[in-house]
Amino acid sequence: MTTQSTSTLPRPAVISKARPRKNNTLTTALHGLGLLVVVFGTLFPFLWMVLTSFKTTSQITSNPPLLFFSGTLDHYRSILGDQYNVGGSLVVSLIVATSATALAVLLGTPAAYALARFSFKGKDDLWFWFISNRFLSPVVLVLPIYLVASQLRLIGNPVLLIAMYLTFSVPIVIWICTDQFRSIPRELDEAAMVDGATPSYIFFKVALPLALPGVVVSSILSFIFSWNELLFALFLTRGDGVTAPVRATGFLSGYDVPWGEIMATGTLIVLPVIVFSLLVSRHLVQGLTMGAIK
Amino acid sequence: MHTQKRITPFLFLAPAVIVLAVVGIYPLLFAAWVSLHTYLLAQPNIPHDFIWFSNYLTVIQDGAFWGSIGRTLFYLAVALPVQIVLGLGIALMLRRGRWAALRGFARVALVIPLAMTPVVTGLIGRLMFNQEFGIANYIQTTITGNKVGIEWLGNPTMAFAAILLLEIWQWTPFAALIFLSGLTAVPVEVEEAATLETRSFWVMLRQIQMPFLMPALTAILILRTADILKQFDMVYTLTGGGPGSSTELINLYITRIGLRGAFDQGVASAQAILMLVLTIMLSRLYIKYLYKGDDA
Amino acid sequence: MKRITALSAALLAVTLGAQAHAQSWSLATAAAPYKGTTIKAIFLDRPGYKAAAQLIPQFEKETGIKVSYETVPYESTNQRYVLDFTSGGGADLVLNDVVWIGQFVDAGWMVPLEKFYNDPKLADPALNVKGFFPVLLDSFGTWNKKIYSYPFDNYSGLMYYNKCTLKAAGFAGPPKTWTELLTKYGPKLTGNGKYAFALQSRRGETQSADSFMRTLWLSGGGLIDPKTFEPTLTSAASQKGLKFRQDLMKFMPPGVVDMDHAEAVAAFNNGTVPLLTEWSSFYTTIADPKQSKVPANCLGVTTEPLGADGLKPALGGFGLGVNSNSDAKHQAAAYLFAQWITSEKMAKPYVQAGGVSGRQAVYKDPAIRAKYIFVEPMVKSWSAGTAVPNFRPRFAEWPQISQIVAENGTKIMLGQLTPQAGAKVIDGRVKEILTRAGYYSGKKAKLQ
Repeated sequence: MTTQSTSTLPRPAVISKARPRKNNTLTTALHGLGLLVVVFGTLFPFLWMVLTSFKTTSQITSNPPLLFFSGTLDHYRSILGDQYNVGGSLVVSLIVATSATALAVLLGTPAAYALARFSFKGKDDLWFWFISNRFLSPVVLVLPIYLVASQLRLIGNPVLLIAMYLTFSVPIVIWICTDQFRSIPRELDEAAMVDGATPSYIFFKVALPLALPGVVVSSILSFIFSWNELLFALFLTRGDGVTAPVRATGFLSGYDVPWGEIMATGTLIVLPVIVFSLLVSRHLVQGLTMGAIK
Repeated sequence: MHTQKRITPFLFLAPAVIVLAVVGIYPLLFAAWVSLHTYLLAQPNIPHDFIWFSNYLTVIQDGAFWGSIGRTLFYLAVALPVQIVLGLGIALMLRRGRWAALRGFARVALVIPLAMTPVVTGLIGRLMFNQEFGIANYIQTTITGNKVGIEWLGNPTMAFAAILLLEIWQWTPFAALIFLSGLTAVPVEVEEAATLETRSFWVMLRQIQMPFLMPALTAILILRTADILKQFDMVYTLTGGGPGSSTELINLYITRIGLRGAFDQGVASAQAILMLVLTIMLSRLYIKYLYKGDDA
Repeated sequence: MKRITALSAALLAVTLGAQAHAQSWSLATAAAPYKGTTIKAIFLDRPGYKAAAQLIPQFEKETGIKVSYETVPYESTNQRYVLDFTSGGGADLVLNDVVWIGQFVDAGWMVPLEKFYNDPKLADPALNVKGFFPVLLDSFGTWNKKIYSYPFDNYSGLMYYNKCTLKAAGFAGPPKTWTELLTKYGPKLTGNGKYAFALQSRRGETQSADSFMRTLWLSGGGLIDPKTFEPTLTSAASQKGLKFRQDLMKFMPPGVVDMDHAEAVAAFNNGTVPLLTEWSSFYTTIADPKQSKVPANCLGVTTEPLGADGLKPALGGFGLGVNSNSDAKHQAAAYLFAQWITSEKMAKPYVQAGGVSGRQAVYKDPAIRAKYIFVEPMVKSWSAGTAVPNFRPRFAEWPQISQIVAENGTKIMLGQLTPQAGAKVIDGRVKEILTRAGYYSGKKAKLQ
């Protein structure tokens, strides 16, 4: 496919459509305008949320919507107080997402290493099975897990949630790290083996440090996915143990919609992951494409 | 030495396999068992009788189930092409030309929707599409001069449009960034050589850049299909499946049957198993035809 | 009638048992063995719970029992209870909606309160169960002749109206009948982005209770025949009600099918609609100048308009009961709280904090009547003969039926189903559910 690039000549019809040079200024202007639209469109909902979280209730419901206003921190004070306890749920989210990510790396990297380095029967099927978990809808799992966990009196226990988050975080780690391990020259392993190193020594001291970029990328992704997850958390957590997304759904009571509080909560949930993703945005994009593009 | 070599991969793989079997396969087997029984969670007095495939029969005859499957596939069929086309356009805009600073900024901005918690996206949608004071209606009434705003979330068509708009907003950047990284792989010399030969944008795209974009396209197709079939969070907070059942995607429907009202775990498990079969078929198909890995 | 007599017998027992211990009982001594216990509760984000929250510190101080509550959205509450109960846990204090009592009692999730009110150590001699409005105690407190919860957060459907808008349109007062609302008020009050009326209809209990069942009652229809339990939505009376609702659509804001209580109240508060049927508990929100643009002198409250059978207003509310999964200590502590917060003594502070008590005595207080203008129509609605205890069937199958009504009811409103076709769909499913439950085969007594 790559070789045909210059072999066929462009069709005449297409050539006639090619723009003459003098339109360049217009093209450039349109290009700039397009970019502005992209930036504005991308950022607007996020900025609107942040802006709204600082408005008073009457400013929020004013029509036309206000762009300039005197801000208030009341909603933040309110959601961090006892009634809503958004702070507590953020801590729960942090604990759950961090634990699920750490466990996924612990379990996933050796498996990825084995898939990349060893050949054995049924390897392809095993790989496919790992990856297919990425396609599994949580709904399929949440019904039976609920029944089992309720009999074991595990509902509301954060360990249960962490375990369920492994269903998507382990596959992410395996998917990305298998590729990463494959890209490390086999000779390095072999050299170490000649020196008499054990497989686990090679894995920890030789391969893993070299695969660090993949480990970092997959950790970031599994952290974000765990942080953002709702469905499992909605049915498997309770009371003070709910994660932040579940807490956010609790505002939709139908009697009184506290927009300011909702937007303030949204801001607090989203801000950490956004800051985090921006810091590592280069790796993030790489990670999104890694396992998938070869 | 030889036996050790045979055992090593097993030891490396065992922990991950065991854990995923416990949290991934065991529940599926249990769901299969439940799907063959009467299992009404809210009515513990009704015994859990074995009823063969009668739950599956109920599901197959249930128009609402097929309705929600159809709705989900329609959602996929609209959102995915739009995300691909817009994503490609944005990637090409970011690739070259003037406005280097703006392009850099846009690239950073595109990361934000990706990191956004979908629950929060839905909540923002509730605010922006509010009929009384939402910004969407402010813009709409200002442009059209209409006095009355659109009832975005109260009208079946508009509510569906609203969930589509948010889906496209949140995930087009994903397509754009993946395409962009595909474009980055195009060798500069090839591109420059081609520029001398043709000035046509389309020729450039088709002949030079396309080969490098194909893997990106594959990735987008696979990952977005998987995620759209899983869509729950954003719709749950934006419309909850309403009005009527106009935005009730399959996952919302299954949770409603199994975890609301009658808490009919039997029927819901049958739905979930059918859903699983559908997903496995789709992902097999995708991986077979699109995802040609190396030796995997 | 039978139910009522048995109930009075139970009440008599309570009264007799109580008299003997009238001297020695005090909340503090009763609570002494449970000092330091924390009881869990699920509250809603509604005025009655904010009022209770204000009073809780007083209870905690007097008893040393801590009350820890979690606020859950109403539409998720039944789900939450069922999931909690079936996993062997749940809040000690059960918040029992009028339509959940059958389900909770059938499954054995609530303790009959006789266990506590017959225990002289726990029963407050001033309990006076007869002091509750009978319709409330009967509806959300009693199932099959036993009391399971005390009425706590009590609602009657009322009509709120904007006197000033009505006057400007040439009306001296609110519509007296539903027909009048449709034929006279509707056309005159609709236009220029304003509408006559809003009927909260979002899919969920809001659709099935506030919208669907309300329109059935106004035409003299119903969901099922009270004697045979046969579905009756296709009957002439029920169809008339559903068609009435469709006719009303053109006089209601276009987004009404997505309106929950908050949106409907906002439409009234913003002046989009001058007429609204809502629960009595919304008075607090509607009369609050910070939330409403309707000036105090323009706000009027009255009973719901009359229908084919006269006044048949919506009835709703919650009682407080005790979770059978909890241990004895938590059960006793939860009972003490339920008894205290619904007591005659606390009725006035509860009302003043924004709650709506189910006690008759408090509304005889002229100061209360003068301050809260919703009291008079509400008391009238709850008084003998007008309120409908079976506004919605209270049996265990209602939550399931409610889902079906909510889905198809909204489809009817949106025109995706005709009232006739929608009624057929619902009737079919209802029949199926009630057959499975065993009502027709005689396996299950026909209680609602």
